[in-house]
Amino acid sequence: MEEYPEELRTPPITLTSLVGCPDLHPLISTYLLSQQPPINTLALPDLSKINLFNKKKPDPDSIGNTSQPPSIVNGILKRDWLLKHRTKIPSVVASLFATDRVFGDPSQWLQVCSDLDSIKSVVRARNIKLVVVLVHTNANDEVSEDRIIALRKRAELEAKYVVILNPNDDSEFQLSLNRLANIFSELSGVYYREEGRRVKQRIEKKNVSSVELIVRYCFKVAVYAEFRSDWTEAMKFYEEAYHTLREIVGVTTRLPAVQRLVEIKSVSEQLHFKISTLLLHSGKVTEAVTWFRQHKNTYKRLVGAPDAIFVHWEWMSRQYLVFGELLETSSKITQNFPPVILGSSSKPLSEWEYYPAYYYQLAAHYMSEKRSALELAISMSETPNEVNSGADSVVPSAYIGQFARLLEEGDNVDMLPLTDEEYTHYTVSEGKRFRDSLEIIALLKKAYESYSGMKIQRMSSFCGFQMAKEYFAEGDIVNAMQLFDSIASLYRKEGWVTLLWEVLGYLRECSRKNGTIKDFVEYSLEMAALPISFDTGVQRDTGPAGPANLRQREVLHKEVFELVGDASVSSKSEDSSNLKITADESVQLEVDLVSPLRLVMFVSVAFHEQTIKPGASTLITISLLSHLPLTVEIDQLEIQFNRSSCNFFITNAQNHQSVEGSDTQQQRTERAPSLLLVSNKWLRLTYNIQSDQSGKLECLSVIAKIGPHFTICCRAESPASLDSLPLWTLEDCIQTVPIKDAVLVFSGQKSTQVEEPDPQVDLCLGASGPALVGEVFLVPVTLVSKGHDVYSGELKINLVDVKGGGLFSPRDSEPYSMDSHHVQLLGISGPEGEDDSQLDSDNIKKIQQSFGLISVPFIKNGDSWSCRLEIKWHRPKPIMLYVSLGYTPNSGESNAQMVHVHKNLQIEGTTAIVINHHYLMPFRRDPLLLTKNKQVSDSEQNKQASESDQPESLPSNQKTVLIVSAKNCTEVPLRLKSLSVEEEDGVERTCSIQHGSEELSKPTLLVPGEEFKKVFSLSSNVNISKLRLGTVCLRWRRDMGVHEKSASTTTLSSWVVTKQKLPDKNVELPPLIVSMECPPYAILGDPFTYCIRILNQTQLLQEIKYSLADAQSFVLCGYHNDTVYVLPKSEHIVSYKLVPLASGMQQLPRFSMTSARYSASYQPSNSSNSVFVFPSKPHFKTAGSTNFRVEESVGNE
Amino acid sequence: MIVCVAVVGHQNNPLYIQSFTEADDALKLHHIVHCSLDVVDERVNNPKKSGPMLNETFLGLLYPIENYKVYGYLTNTKVKFILVTTDIDVKDADVRNFFRRFHAAYVDAVSNPFHVPGKKITSRTFAERVSTIVKSFGFSSAA
Repeated sequence: MEEYPEELRTPPITLTSLVGCPDLHPLISTYLLSQQPPINTLALPDLSKINLFNKKKPDPDSIGNTSQPPSIVNGILKRDWLLKHRTKIPSVVASLFATDRVFGDPSQWLQVCSDLDSIKSVVRARNIKLVVVLVHTNANDEVSEDRIIALRKRAELEAKYVVILNPNDDSEFQLSLNRLANIFSELSGVYYREEGRRVKQRIEKKNVSSVELIVRYCFKVAVYAEFRSDWTEAMKFYEEAYHTLREIVGVTTRLPAVQRLVEIKSVSEQLHFKISTLLLHSGKVTEAVTWFRQHKNTYKRLVGAPDAIFVHWEWMSRQYLVFGELLETSSKITQNFPPVILGSSSKPLSEWEYYPAYYYQLAAHYMSEKRSALELAISMSETPNEVNSGADSVVPSAYIGQFARLLEEGDNVDMLPLTDEEYTHYTVSEGKRFRDSLEIIALLKKAYESYSGMKIQRMSSFCGFQMAKEYFAEGDIVNAMQLFDSIASLYRKEGWVTLLWEVLGYLRECSRKNGTIKDFVEYSLEMAALPISFDTGVQRDTGPAGPANLRQREVLHKEVFELVGDASVSSKSEDSSNLKITADESVQLEVDLVSPLRLVMFVSVAFHEQTIKPGASTLITISLLSHLPLTVEIDQLEIQFNRSSCNFFITNAQNHQSVEGSDTQQQRTERAPSLLLVSNKWLRLTYNIQSDQSGKLECLSVIAKIGPHFTICCRAESPASLDSLPLWTLEDCIQTVPIKDAVLVFSGQKSTQVEEPDPQVDLCLGASGPALVGEVFLVPVTLVSKGHDVYSGELKINLVDVKGGGLFSPRDSEPYSMDSHHVQLLGISGPEGEDDSQLDSDNIKKIQQSFGLISVPFIKNGDSWSCRLEIKWHRPKPIMLYVSLGYTPNSGESNAQMVHVHKNLQIEGTTAIVINHHYLMPFRRDPLLLTKNKQVSDSEQNKQASESDQPESLPSNQKTVLIVSAKNCTEVPLRLKSLSVEEEDGVERTCSIQHGSEELSKPTLLVPGEEFKKVFSLSSNVNISKLRLGTVCLRWRRDMGVHEKSASTTTLSSWVVTKQKLPDKNVELPPLIVSMECPPYAILGDPFTYCIRILNQTQLLQEIKYSLADAQSFVLCGYHNDTVYVLPKSEHIVSYKLVPLASGMQQLPRFSMTSARYSASYQPSNSSNSVFVFPSKPHFKTAGSTNFRVEESVGNE
Repeated sequence: MIVCVAVVGHQNNPLYIQSFTEADDALKLHHIVHCSLDVVDERVNNPKKSGPMLNETFLGLLYPIENYKVYGYLTNTKVKFILVTTDIDVKDADVRNFFRRFHAAYVDAVSNPFHVPGKKITSRTFAERVSTIVKSFGFSSAA
């Protein structure tokens, strides 16, 4: 696009002119230029220059055609016509006069008039519009209306076209400038319209002598329309011109054939350019694209004479390039993509035609067409050299697309028309001056970058490929290789073998030119290994690669192996002189998992076992596969592991002497009968392998040595995770597996795990039976060495919940405390007889709640060492105890192998003692507790529940008996030291407990299942409602059996304290208390008194109904039924005399009573209502009464 | 005249490519077929631009280049058929008809129990059938 003249590329801008008063010109010019649309000004300092606008009577183009009749048109468009109107011929001339001259003395006025006349004469001839501007020289110049009118008349102007400028008054000056600009744009509009109409009339008259003129007139009309921004009309006439021009093609005979076509094409190019620009500017992208296509199709076939055909291709290329550039600059295309309707249905537009890159690509294509045509033309015109001198003087003539010979004879310059031969020579010699390939590369680069920017990678690759080819042809190997490389990766990925073959061929040639032997070998081998088996049909069109077929692959293969084979032999036969291997050089190829050279050689390694014992041997299979077309003979294979001690060599038994290396004496060397790598066939080798060190043993790589200078290092791959080979998987051939063993194919790994040596130390955990909650449970740990010395041993202890999860309490929100662990590792005590502190000082010892680490001293073979773990349970919970010992069997070596022994043991934690308690009232004494009474009467159905509970409340101010029982729930006998009820810290006890904290005289043995009971008598204080009893505190430990005696004296601290808080009790004052008095026993026939005391503790009179039922075994005297009133705070006694009639345990006559006020009835319980009757008076040794004494009883309840 | 037909697999890898020209421009045709995959990708990824062609296997004219026109066809299994022709005026119906027959031939070829899906089509029968279809291109609608 840059090669077009400026005036064509930019929209036309109105041109005006200023004459006189030069000091004001810059000011006015800048102002006009800033207008919208801008106005260009041609500033003439004084009147003498006005003659520039004079119409030159002899036409400027008459040089060439003076001899011809004027009716004959010499060309279609004049080259400088547009420029003339853009820069030389103004539409409006403003004549500036200073006021002092206009209003001055008559001589000055006369001068003004004559100036005006001369301007008028010039302007009239060209129909240019005139404006008169009066410039105030002084602020106080008086304006004479008469003079102004006279001036106006003289200039033949309307009043509005006389503008007065006052440069001294700023605001007024701006206003006048504005007015002036308006007048300018109005008048220029008029001028261009009139000019356009004038030309248009000529077309409409239809008496134009030639078609060329019609084209010219249409062009002019369109340009005038453009000047006044009438785009529609401009468009219309450009199209008109274009179509008319098309009609000329076959008609005109004005010029020799070749030049005629060149002219037409040049003009159509300009017209097309204008049309496309206008279309794109108005956002009609689709129309523009369609237009271009039409334009291209119209002229594509107008090839012209065969010897100048390159001119046509060049022109085509330029069309594409320019349109591509136009599309690119037109910002519309990026903003809104064309609508869905892509052209008409019959000729749909593809979206590709909207991409500038598409046009660049085709421009490059035509450019290369041009180049080949030009080369042909040059070769044909090689012989005559004499014309060259003539070609030098050829210049563009006055018409667009025409050339003429410049004849200089002294000062006389003459233009002579050319013959076609001369023209062709001229263009050929012009064409020689340019390096087309650079042009092509530039075009392709544009397309390449544009496509890559849009992520259209295949197109861009194709452009890149063509570009690289150009670079290659130009000898720019670096750029070419870079491009080819990037393209090759795409073709590799998508498996386009033929394309890849081509690219690799170029790359191979590049590396040959560069002399990089490694690249050359790599590319050659990759090509040789490509899956091309049948003829792809690509025969002669190939680049340096040669045809893609099996034969060519074999040729490449041979060439490489000859090159790397024997340096001395190849050097004399090798024609590519810069590829040589000297004797001390070698070529090593690396093949990793992503390398394209995997096709060349590919190694899969599988251990037959996934784990092996140290020192034991296992089998390893190395499988090699090559897709090279010919068989490769390997001299030596080196298998490398992550432990260099395991590395070994496999040599070819047939020619081992050639590789008998220097450094292989201490390495293991295997000998294989043959190491022939047949094309597409697995070479499988199986050997023993062993390792003494534990850990992972992995095969890293396999290095194949072929000949003295060539090695291929392949990364080992596991058969189980084998990536299929690229390219070959797409081929329709049978897939083979690296190993015959079907299991190993799917599970074989290139690494194996070498286990640790077996530990020769016994680790014993000697815990017996379940642990008891609260006690410090000791787990003895014993290490017995049986064959290994234990160096730097380390014992790790872990406590883990059997059910999983941690040993923390579920209430994690609790503040951290000892209790937060249900099971806790308290410590580790050293072996028996050894002091704890000593163990601490020189050994690592780290104890946490559930984790412990302790170092083990050196243990000699055969010795043993033990320690004890102290674990405490806070809750009954089974745990798993893990103990592991890590040690090294050898001293001194820092990197020696650790040996590990693991042991675990599940330990139950059980509750040792269950504490219960209950309350009893004194015998035959029953208080009326209203709350209980109410509860019973309230809900009959809840009876059971309420009865099973302890009575809700206790009577106040009464003695109550509290029985605490402790039951041994374990399987082992326990010793009790004390059972006491203790005050809680900080809480005052609201009752007194007798014998609360007495110790037992000596520890009591409690066998499994046995229950220990202790009776406390309880008396509450008076005015309280709640009874806080405190905590039951039980001290116990395991029974030591035979060691009991000694243990009881020595380890006093080992008593376990179990605490259980007694629940608080409600206390209430009973309104009535009934107590029955009866002797402890009776004697047959002996009368005794049975009396019932009813104590009224209230301030109220209580009505009591009572009755006494008869009993068979007794005769009685007294009231059977009665109602009595018990006075407040007093006691009523109902008394009976009874005579027993039968001996044995007898029921007393049943007494029952009802309190009317509380509607509560009372019946004594069976136990309190019976008495034993002796047949005769017994004889007791009375040992004092034991009423309400501390009672110790041990027995089964 | 049809100069090249191709079957392209999921990974844009060629499964079958055959050119039918006397001139030795097979490689160029390979390039053209390969480039046309960009257009197919674009059509498939931006279905809204192609508007009413949703769910249609026939992709229409992919792009015009120099002297060729490239047409595309996408099967439901995302296998692409590419057709390169030198004809200036190609009837859409002809191309559709061609692709329909070509598709049938392809289906028959891959239904062969000895054919492994995703591998190149090497069946000779398929090749023969394709060349028959190619030769009859353009005549079917005229006849």
